[in-house]
Amino acid sequence: MGGVLVVLEQREGSLKAVSCEALSVGRQLADQLGADVEALLIGPPGLDRGVGGQYGADRVSVVASDDLNLYQPAAYRDAVVDRVRAGEHQVVVLSATAMGKDLGPRIAARLRCALAVDVTSVEASNGIRVTRPVYSGKAVYSLSITGSPCVISVRPNAFPAVDRASDPKVEELEAPSTDARCRTVQVREPETARLDVSEAGTIVSGGRGLKEPANFKLLEDLADAIGRCAVGASRAVVDAGWRPHADQVGQTGKTVSPQLYIAVGISGAIQHLAGMRTSKVIVAINKDRDAPIFKIADYGIVGDLFEIVPRLTQEVKTLRGG
Amino acid sequence: MKIAVCVKRVPDTETRVRPGADGKSISEDGVKFVLNPYDEFAVEEALKLKEQAGAGEVVVVAMGTGASQETIRHALAMGADRGVLLETDARSLDPVSSATILADELRPGEFDLILFGKMAIDDYNHATGVVVAELLDVPCVSAIAHLVVADGKGKADREIEGGVEVVEFTLPAVLTADKGLNEPRYPALRGIMLAKKKPLEVKPVSLQDGAISVEGLSLPPERAEGRILGEGPDAVPVLIDALRNEAKVL
Amino acid sequence: MARHVRPSEYQPELPRDKLILNEAPADENIEVDVLIVGAGPAGLACAIELANLARKDNESGNGIGDLSIAVLEKAGAVGDHCLSGAVINPTAFTNLFPDLRVSDFPFRAPVKKESVHFLTKVGSVRMPTPPTMKNHGYQIASLCEVARWLASRAEEMGVDIFAGYPAEAMLVNGHTVRGVRTAPTGLDRDGKPMSNYTPGTDVVAKVTCLAEGTRGSLSQAYFAWQNVTTQNPQIYALGVKEIWETKKPLDAVIHTMGWPLPRTVFGGSFMYPLEDKLLAIGLVAGLDYEETGFDIFQRFQEMKTHSFFREYLDGGEMVEWGAKTIPEGGFYAIPDRRYGHGVIILGDAAGFVNVPALKGIHYAMQSGIYGARAVFEALKNGATSAPHLAPYDGLVNDSFIMDDLYRVRNMRSAFKGGFFAGGIKAAAMTLTGGKAFGKKIAMKPDAAVRKHIKPAEPFVPDNTLTFSKVDAVFKSGNATRDTVPSHLIVEKDVGEDVARMYQHMCPAGVYEVVEGRLQVNAPNCVDCKATDVIGPRWTVREGGSGPAYKRM
Repeated sequence: MGGVLVVLEQREGSLKAVSCEALSVGRQLADQLGADVEALLIGPPGLDRGVGGQYGADRVSVVASDDLNLYQPAAYRDAVVDRVRAGEHQVVVLSATAMGKDLGPRIAARLRCALAVDVTSVEASNGIRVTRPVYSGKAVYSLSITGSPCVISVRPNAFPAVDRASDPKVEELEAPSTDARCRTVQVREPETARLDVSEAGTIVSGGRGLKEPANFKLLEDLADAIGRCAVGASRAVVDAGWRPHADQVGQTGKTVSPQLYIAVGISGAIQHLAGMRTSKVIVAINKDRDAPIFKIADYGIVGDLFEIVPRLTQEVKTLRGG
Repeated sequence: MKIAVCVKRVPDTETRVRPGADGKSISEDGVKFVLNPYDEFAVEEALKLKEQAGAGEVVVVAMGTGASQETIRHALAMGADRGVLLETDARSLDPVSSATILADELRPGEFDLILFGKMAIDDYNHATGVVVAELLDVPCVSAIAHLVVADGKGKADREIEGGVEVVEFTLPAVLTADKGLNEPRYPALRGIMLAKKKPLEVKPVSLQDGAISVEGLSLPPERAEGRILGEGPDAVPVLIDALRNEAKVL
Repeated sequence: MARHVRPSEYQPELPRDKLILNEAPADENIEVDVLIVGAGPAGLACAIELANLARKDNESGNGIGDLSIAVLEKAGAVGDHCLSGAVINPTAFTNLFPDLRVSDFPFRAPVKKESVHFLTKVGSVRMPTPPTMKNHGYQIASLCEVARWLASRAEEMGVDIFAGYPAEAMLVNGHTVRGVRTAPTGLDRDGKPMSNYTPGTDVVAKVTCLAEGTRGSLSQAYFAWQNVTTQNPQIYALGVKEIWETKKPLDAVIHTMGWPLPRTVFGGSFMYPLEDKLLAIGLVAGLDYEETGFDIFQRFQEMKTHSFFREYLDGGEMVEWGAKTIPEGGFYAIPDRRYGHGVIILGDAAGFVNVPALKGIHYAMQSGIYGARAVFEALKNGATSAPHLAPYDGLVNDSFIMDDLYRVRNMRSAFKGGFFAGGIKAAAMTLTGGKAFGKKIAMKPDAAVRKHIKPAEPFVPDNTLTFSKVDAVFKSGNATRDTVPSHLIVEKDVGEDVARMYQHMCPAGVYEVVEGRLQVNAPNCVDCKATDVIGPRWTVREGGSGPAYKRM
């Protein structure tokens, strides 16, 4: 009894990569608490039950049903809440994905317990202590959570997935029924082919250095190669009409905070920097070694972007295996 | 159509964030406060639904200090009918704590819809609206970017990673609004003048700390000094290696 | 080959037919007793004095009753568009609030020490402080903070202040001003309504007080429409200013002349301590400068590299930037009539600025006080036609406002002949209380002064002490929606020489030359109005556009 419950997330029958991160966080917490970690798989029949054993789970519980292929809030919530009530877990861990941000509050509400969202660090010492970014990434809260259980959603890509072999016991659980009052009926392709800059985990941005609008194709190719990557633009090129204002980063355009921001041919005016400086990793590609952007970039390459960007695209494609 | 919209007074995102003297909250010196932008989408949507239905009432509810009256007045100036301020100087980062008070206020109202912004731009919790829905035991769709309501039923789109989830639900329901749902209207001067006369009830409430306490608010760590990896396309493999193995973002 | 550019040849006319609408107000309009356009020191002082007079009148029985006073402000919040040095003569404050003490007013610090210096490229020489510039007994302040404080007092007294509502046009009936129409919001780049479009509102009032500040559009339109004459055209200087957090404290009010301004340009710099380690620093220069490549923004940036200023700025941080024009025509440029049927004009919009003393705020506030008194009497008598508002001019003419301005009436114009000649004339004027060189010196409007075509010196900001226009605009808090329709009326095809002149005239980078053609980045505009003086005409944008000054 007790311990950590990690809710894993699947999409179309396959486990999402972020779940491995969540499981590793759960494993670490369980170690600190001197307790077990249980992985909870909710979804359609046929899910791979083996992942628990790759990341150190002590138990794996499976709630499978055809009705649960898509995220059904009430049923997923009930699956977790029932399991926590039965298992008396101390901590529930999810990924702060779209699903996690919706599911976490529901669990906390039913259990009348604490909820910490999108945390970037967590440890079990004197209760549960977390840090989480707030105010558009401009500040960080250090919080301590009391009471048991508590629900924690972890920021995607902020924790490593740590291999840990284990031999978990697997148990099939009964699937709760879905709520007739609220049903997810389908998942469809997004209207815009491209991600919005404010939601993307990776952004490739271009500035005047690209010389003309048609050259943004280079960045689009790079974005395609990276995958789930938005193409942003500096104010200068938006003003010049090369790119739509929805793509603008900085000034009254958007403030973005992706995992990776690649600034191509952007010199780094303060207004642009203000829009992207909370990005986790910043890469700058510019022919001017003295461009201000290099002062804020974690990694930089000086040179002709028309040679560097295609090479980068090519290398990323190779990396992605095709 | 009877709709409630919950709003919050938050610091403007352009605010220069500095920890205050207590080290646990931001310094309010020189900070401009605004109606939470995501709540604006919620207010706008409520107004559109009422206009579409031809009749009804839009009630704005806020929880916070007395200054939140300004925030409610902004929503009233946009066109909401009346406001309620649940007054408290306390702040809680525990979503269940705040939501409990809101739910108690909203429960007797028999609203067809209760709208929230998906999150507040200060605390980034993404939770209050959903918790309120659970406490009231009504259906809830969060972070919606498109909405259609008719005949006691609704259909909403919400963005997920790489796709759009389509959810069908019955009323009464709670919805939380995301960017893209609509373009909020700028209050007309007339609206501001009328807003002064609309009813705004102030009710003191007691907000508990809940199970979450703040140990500190700090600035994010200074970016470590970056480095130029090289010149020209030959530096690309070095970059890829760094991004993969050092920064772990690729 | 053209070697000069005369800005007036490329300037579109003031769009009078858009600024003055001879039509009935919309059925759904807002009616108030007094409408004040502009929540700066003049407008707010007027509002406060009016509310004061109404309250006293009501207390004494058989009073005027409820007086509805509304102030419209184009900035998103009061103070957001206010910018000045500033060293303020507190007299208008004590006139407005006789029961309060100086320590109650929103001043930062009294002036303790002051000095004036003449700079050369490499050094500086202390000069004796000209008598007109003595600031002892005055107060250092931030005009933003002054405006916000006045606005709070006004609201406490029942005045309605609407920030984010620019007055786009005056509504008139025959020769009577009936009120204004505010600007619409929610138009896209091409001027088409978007889904959240809100049309403007007509505000109707018995008296409209125009307190728009420097180069106000409605004020200009009114004077032109009514053929109100001035003895000299109004002329302007452009000031650019920054606020710095410094490591080294400043303890004196400092003014400089000379470098980096050439002898043919009138102006100088100021540096004032707001707090121990917070200072305001700026450069002011007349817009009648003689070369197209003269860039006041750039000169100011270069100025900061002089050791005289570096002593304070090194190691510090620039926290705010802004720009604004100042009417410099003085006594002879003040319109002959500042009132009309249902209207009065206050403050900088009427030109009440004492250039040699660098003072305008207390004149603005005092004109607001006099305006309020005249308006109040008119309302009591139930008549607001011109003869009933005329006493406003009488009060101003008989006051220290006109006395002071008359005494220094030719000082600015004296500098028309260059710095040294001007200095001698100015000294003579001071010594004789204005009697020497007392005859009006004719001036041309700034736009009529030819500018010799000369490229600008190259300038590369170092991003620590000096900055680009783009970075400066960011520090002005400008968050104008990038897709607002352009508010600037630009003559078609101005050609590269004129385009370059615009580029250097504008401190906010609104005008750029891209491949030989003029590119207009309208959202950058910080409403300084330099463009309206010698470049494309300025018009209002949707409410809340422009800068958001915090402590300017």
